[in-house]
Amino acid sequence: MPQFFLNKRLIILLVSIIILVALIGFSLKEREKLTWPEQFVKDTIGLVQTAVSRPTHYVAGFFDNLKDLQNTYTENKELKKRLDELARLESDVQMLEKENAELREILDKKESLSDFEPIQATVVGRNPDRWNELLTINKGTKDGIEQDMPVLTANGLIGKVKSTSQLTSTVQLLSSMDPTNRISAEIQADGESYFGLIEGYDKDKGLLLLKGIPYDAKIKKGQNVVSSGMGGVFPKNLPIGKVVDVTPAEYGLTQTAFVKPGANFYDIEHVMVVKRSMVKPEPEDMIDDEEEEL
Amino acid sequence: MRKFLLPLLLLLLFISESIFIELFPKGLLDEARIIVPRFLMITLLFLTIYGPKKYGIIYSFIFGLLFDVVYTEIIGIYLFIFPLVSYIVSKLMKILQTNIVMVSLVTIIGVILLEMGVYEMNFLIHQTSMDFSSFVSLRLIPTVIFNLVITCIVAYPLKKHFENLAASLDV
Repeated sequence: MPQFFLNKRLIILLVSIIILVALIGFSLKEREKLTWPEQFVKDTIGLVQTAVSRPTHYVAGFFDNLKDLQNTYTENKELKKRLDELARLESDVQMLEKENAELREILDKKESLSDFEPIQATVVGRNPDRWNELLTINKGTKDGIEQDMPVLTANGLIGKVKSTSQLTSTVQLLSSMDPTNRISAEIQADGESYFGLIEGYDKDKGLLLLKGIPYDAKIKKGQNVVSSGMGGVFPKNLPIGKVVDVTPAEYGLTQTAFVKPGANFYDIEHVMVVKRSMVKPEPEDMIDDEEEEL
Repeated sequence: MRKFLLPLLLLLLFISESIFIELFPKGLLDEARIIVPRFLMITLLFLTIYGPKKYGIIYSFIFGLLFDVVYTEIIGIYLFIFPLVSYIVSKLMKILQTNIVMVSLVTIIGVILLEMGVYEMNFLIHQTSMDFSSFVSLRLIPTVIFNLVITCIVAYPLKKHFENLAASLDV
């Protein structure tokens, strides 16, 4: 028996397993903030990453440009065709915006759920093992980034900020499996809109799952899905994707729509972190008595 | 100056893994298959075998922690598995002879152990719901083939470098 305890290796193994379980437990619980040593390490590595990734992206971009040159002619033709439509669209938008502003003035409603301030950022790193899809971007709390802010590319929503440090922050993509990764979304059907929650990702098909749509909603293929702004953090009308398929959910009480994300989750370089202009409601406000009056 | 060469090399490899993932042309593979570059693990295993063994395990520990903090945000998985694989490989090399083909094969076995270990951990803490057979076909096989090619390319230079390092430390 004494020999068993004197076995140094066994004791080291047991102690390290205990530490392992403790550390994993510590990092899995929902944390408001990273500890300062973590933030420090992330910032330091982030600086090195920025220094290294800029030149490599530049070189890679050069080769991409060469490839693009090959189909410039056909692209140019196509784009010229679109340009005419764009001019018309632009005048429409201007007119509508003006009208909207005037109407808002009449109603005395200054803020809207869809107002936001964008913060531009560049991706400097990505989790190589890709079990949980995380990106590192080169903006942090110093630039006004906070936890849970939505992150977009030019084509649509890609995820939300998982944690922040001074100079960098970590973005969790919509494609990672995390039960807390939920976004309140809205399907824009003609004239009507249906609400649901983006919950989960089908890895094989590359589609997002939009759950909890009312069973009698008439949803068609190709309808747009945008964020609804009801979650408290996300502004309204951020593009997410298009409906591809609809199936009744378990027990048939609701429907689940498969949404093809507008953004590509593999090829991300520049992103935009979105700060909602409208104040986020505090949980205490929502259970207040006054709520019923509103 | 020479003292800083090794940590600097490892740090560069550490960052290159994430840059590789960003720049890897996705058209080359179909989207569901995933290649995980393990430059750091390969180098650490060569360091354990050819260089001073103690260095190998200590650096595995340090870079395991760094990997967890910077990339995965779940502290513990790589912190535990990197040194464990280095240790198992160093034990394995006591039985086997140290020629370069053998070392490359053992390195690949190390990479397989690492991949399986990380998968099992993620499965246990519900970070993934992938079953074992699709893990093997979608992740393990492409990863192993890719890292085998990389090992074949870097084996000889790494061997030379770490043998020199071990020699310079002995003197």
